[in-house]
Amino acid sequence: MDASPANDDLLRDVTRRHFFENCGVGLGAIALGALMADRSQAAEAVNPMTVYPPHHGPRAKAVIFLFMAGGPSQLDLFTDKPALRKHHGQLPPQSFLEGKRFAFLKGTEMLLASPRKFESYGECGQELSDLLPHHQQIVDDVSWLHGMTTDVFNHGPAKLFINTGSPQPGRPSMGSWITYGIGSEYRNLPGFVVLQSGPRGPRAGGTLWSSGFLPTCHQGVPFRSGPVPILNLSSPPGTTRQSERQFVDVVNDLNRYKFDKISDPEIETRIAAYETAYRMQSSAPELMQLSDEPRHILDLYGAVPGQASYANNCLLARRLVERGVRFVQLYHTNWDHHGGTTENLEEHLPSVCREVDQASAALVLDLKQRGLLDETIVIWGGEFGRTPMGEIRDNTGRDHHIDAYSMWCAGGGFRAGTIHGQTDELGLTAVEGAKHVHDLQATILHLLGLNHERLTFRFQGRNFRLTDVHGRVLHDVLS
Amino acid sequence: MNDSQLGSDAAKAAADTRGCVERFAAGAWLYPGQAVWVHPLALIFISALLAQGGEIATVDFNRDIRPILSNSCLKCHGPDEDARKADLRLDTREGALADRGGYRAINPEEPPASALLLRITAAEVAERMPPAESGLQLSAHQIALISRWIEQGAPFEQHWAFRPILQPPLPMVTPSWPRNEIDSFVLEQLTRQQIEPSPEATPYTLIRRVNLDVRGLPPTPAEVDEYIADQSPDAYERMVERALASPHYGERWGRHWLDQARYADTNGYSVDAERSMWPYRDWVIQALNDDMPFDRFTIEQLAGDLLPNSTREQLIATGFHRNTLINEEGGTDEEQFRVETVVDRVNTTGTVWLGLTIGCAQCHTHKFDPISQHEYYRLFAFFNTCEDANGRPPTLHVTTPEQQTKLDELDARIVAATDAIAEHDRQHNKQSAKGSDEAGGASASTDSQRVELTTKLTGLQEERTQYLAAIPQTMILRERTTTRESNVLIRGDFLRKGDVVLPDTPAALPKLPASDSPRTRLDLARWIVDRQNPLTARVTGNRIWAHYFGRGLVETENDFGRQGTPPTHPKLLDWLAAELMDRGWSQKSVHRLILNSATYLQTSQLRADLAEVDPLNKLLGRQSRLRVDAEIVRDLGLSVSGLLHDKIGGPGAYPPQPDDVFAFTQVRRPWPTSTGPDRYRRGMYTVFMRSAPYPMLTTFDSPVFNVSCTFRQRSNTPLQSLAMSNDETMIEVARTLGQRAFQHAASDCDRIGYAFQICFARPPDPFEVERLGGYVEQQRQIFASNPEGAILLAGDISIKPVEDAAAWTALARVLLNLDEFITRE
Repeated sequence: MDASPANDDLLRDVTRRHFFENCGVGLGAIALGALMADRSQAAEAVNPMTVYPPHHGPRAKAVIFLFMAGGPSQLDLFTDKPALRKHHGQLPPQSFLEGKRFAFLKGTEMLLASPRKFESYGECGQELSDLLPHHQQIVDDVSWLHGMTTDVFNHGPAKLFINTGSPQPGRPSMGSWITYGIGSEYRNLPGFVVLQSGPRGPRAGGTLWSSGFLPTCHQGVPFRSGPVPILNLSSPPGTTRQSERQFVDVVNDLNRYKFDKISDPEIETRIAAYETAYRMQSSAPELMQLSDEPRHILDLYGAVPGQASYANNCLLARRLVERGVRFVQLYHTNWDHHGGTTENLEEHLPSVCREVDQASAALVLDLKQRGLLDETIVIWGGEFGRTPMGEIRDNTGRDHHIDAYSMWCAGGGFRAGTIHGQTDELGLTAVEGAKHVHDLQATILHLLGLNHERLTFRFQGRNFRLTDVHGRVLHDVLS
Repeated sequence: MNDSQLGSDAAKAAADTRGCVERFAAGAWLYPGQAVWVHPLALIFISALLAQGGEIATVDFNRDIRPILSNSCLKCHGPDEDARKADLRLDTREGALADRGGYRAINPEEPPASALLLRITAAEVAERMPPAESGLQLSAHQIALISRWIEQGAPFEQHWAFRPILQPPLPMVTPSWPRNEIDSFVLEQLTRQQIEPSPEATPYTLIRRVNLDVRGLPPTPAEVDEYIADQSPDAYERMVERALASPHYGERWGRHWLDQARYADTNGYSVDAERSMWPYRDWVIQALNDDMPFDRFTIEQLAGDLLPNSTREQLIATGFHRNTLINEEGGTDEEQFRVETVVDRVNTTGTVWLGLTIGCAQCHTHKFDPISQHEYYRLFAFFNTCEDANGRPPTLHVTTPEQQTKLDELDARIVAATDAIAEHDRQHNKQSAKGSDEAGGASASTDSQRVELTTKLTGLQEERTQYLAAIPQTMILRERTTTRESNVLIRGDFLRKGDVVLPDTPAALPKLPASDSPRTRLDLARWIVDRQNPLTARVTGNRIWAHYFGRGLVETENDFGRQGTPPTHPKLLDWLAAELMDRGWSQKSVHRLILNSATYLQTSQLRADLAEVDPLNKLLGRQSRLRVDAEIVRDLGLSVSGLLHDKIGGPGAYPPQPDDVFAFTQVRRPWPTSTGPDRYRRGMYTVFMRSAPYPMLTTFDSPVFNVSCTFRQRSNTPLQSLAMSNDETMIEVARTLGQRAFQHAASDCDRIGYAFQICFARPPDPFEVERLGGYVEQQRQIFASNPEGAILLAGDISIKPVEDAAAWTALARVLLNLDEFITRE
């Protein structure tokens, strides 16, 4: 090949692709267009758990996404609708339903008033129902996003949509995009961690934290509860820390011997990986030691060491971002309150609220008192909200609603104590400040220093991005 | 829908399309009547460039110009009318040379007057193309290339991948190195760069390389000994033939194909219930082992159901496109997910056979390749008349011969029972007709007889139903009995139907043969493997190549369009494609050619002299080192320990996995951990659940098979180190291998040599023996003072004393964790 400048361009292009395939090597820098034609320079960046420069100055360093799987009812938690009480039991006017699609409603369901008591709190005056008393403490630390909209009304597709920007499985999730873009600060734990609480896992499972077509080292790593959070972290029975050191030494000595003979940098990457894995074996169990926390912190969250719970996961999330982990996602099931004996608004909504209320608020308060809230984004919400019309099965419930629901975000550049967006009097449609899921994704990336239109990955001939071909940064909700 | 609505939809679609590309300012071209103002400096600049251009010998449109146009111009001046700016298109010569009211974008008669040149060299930022907002910039060299090309008359050539495949003449090269034609093409380019090929790898490396590549299993020590001892001149060729004749060839290459077929054992999405598509998986393995010609292989998978008198196997083959997802969540819109399925089938067909990113045209006309949105939906129409609609049916019961015999027997008995009732009724009617006095009594007795007969029939039918229920049903393709109209879907939205379209292929590719009847999937399948189709053989040959060298001759193996990278060895690519077709589409023939080339036989050692000129080994001056695929990591372990159960095909297996894998899924699926030999089957038989994949597989980059995967990535991470060091199966492997080594010989040195030979198919170097020997002695001492630990580590292996059992387990564990173990050298 001749070494003309045009071919240089081609070479760089291909070099870049080569490095994509060999995950260990300098991905972030490549993603950001800092092309590295110099192999030796590229070979230095061998660890995927490292930091890469962002597109622009970041506001935040880490994200904790509190995912309320199933779709919480904004109408029973965050927005009081007097008109619903007035028209309770009536059909909604046809004009309100124009162009709307629902999963289960047939068009004959009546409006359902919330039985909850609402009051306004804090300086911002955000309404909260009696189901979330601990949230009263954080109303002025939070950006309240009403009038959220998404595109799809089934759980699996909608969960994929908010996580990956697409309703079909196969695309990388937000955490994967972010570690791909800017890496992670802590070398001894994965940069994208997934935690789970509640009766079962979220619908769509592993596809929600899949790295899609990005290298698999960017996939979310599900942490198991208990002292050994990472699969295969424990050495075989009968070994000791000392014998494991000897094991890593002999493996790496022999790998280095091979490297000296054939100089493939992949071998160097593998040597580094064995060292990191060895360190991980002590850093991960240490991370899980919640009993190290003082009593008042445990009480703040309502955490009980040794017990699998949402509260423990919230505390764990703080310990993870404290160490420099980039993206932590907590799934809590189940918020799918259609009515019926096992998932109704009378009994099961209050109980799931009790499970998450205190710890969600505690996380914000704890991050704030440690000075971590400024650089940590906390997101609270589900894949969609619920309809103003009731579903009357054995008990009451509400169907999936995608045109006007609520989430909240705190820290990392979100303007504290502000309320954004408004829905119509029945809560069916956003009448002001509608925000699409792609907008939220663009905003999260923006706060981390990433331009959602430039963070792309070429797959099957197309440049893909988290926000597909949409998304705008929500500057009005940022400070 | 009326016209004005359509118009507004089109406008919206256009607006969305604009969002799809990085946003450009509405860069005005030169308007008619606008004076062409050129900065005086620009003219000097152009002259300088033209002078520089004089140094460029001959510009090749496809090599030099097309990439520039495609990357920097065609988003706004390409095939997509909706995105086109200033009504200028630069992807056709006609468009580029058109009279624009007194001037032309490209003027070959008077090159400096070409508006395109003025604009790409404009000193004013606001004037310059590409616009600053695009973030694109042409280098001085690129500008020089363009001006030289215009001077040469601005010839446009057909995109390389769309040209007919012709067998290229063999280049003249030094005859000493080549073993076959492949090498002549490779050597021609190496010689041009004054690069010597690398020497041949050692026989040890070669036998392991061939076996890993062809069978996905390492050679046994006996096979290695035999090969090393074989001094005959064709020893290598015969070793290759043995590998190709092995039924494991079908498994290894079947797995590559199953990646493309997005084969998995569950339905996907949230419910993710199990399905039995393994008969399709087995069909693929068998077809490859039989070396079924690739054209037939294609037709049976895409349209086996439409073949005259299609066989059971041909129906099973259509499972290729039944590997799509099914969303079983409550409250879903069936039509929405049916359309998703059809879209996936179109896109997958495009990627797998044509190497085209057809999916880009789902929402708007392709920006770079000649596929309009209407043409996309003409392809869609081929698949839109399939019967399945986000559900399992149609399915086929996959019976074994014994089961079929039993079913036939039941059927015969049912027929007999039915006949008996009919006969009884006939007799009864006859008697009733006689009207005798005894009729009443006779009737009662015959009635009880009838009840008996009926009970017997019902029992048989019940038995058949129950028997059938236990037989696996695999999903197949079938056409609907009624037709279904196909429309362009505006923005790809299934709720917004546009023009009605009929099935057809894109105009830029060879036409379908004329026909009076509507075109079917079978027509499409035959067109795909028609000799005139320029893409299929190139794409297929390139993929085979990519598995042997870690990189295709066309690196963008799934994009042979204008945005893809051109082939590094265009003549070799065409030669391979032509050979594939000329040899009756025999894939094994192509494997044989590659495996017997000197190019393949080279060492994979990195060369300092190539670090600068060819760091990525695109010129093939050496082989590549490749980490084996996820399934093979497991297979290697099972194989070297002797645990492997190498049964081919059948229902999937459930090897042990950690209990809490399902803590993260909606439904806790049963994982009936296999016992007995099924525990030790090859990785490709591990039941693959899309929402909770087997952890060891995804850790080593197995795709999750929601969409077609044509090329796996290879990562290298600490989680892989943990899996190799500590995974339950790998520890079991270490114990068994350790015991095997210990029992093989009396001295540590011989034991190490033996275990090393099993794992790496070569004897260890003195350094390796020494380091491993020191380690085993060290571990023996440590465990001698820790017998409890020794018993724990060694598990149930029967070596005595326990410190030996533990030390040899530890030693074997080290071998499994060496980079070389999971690397094809």
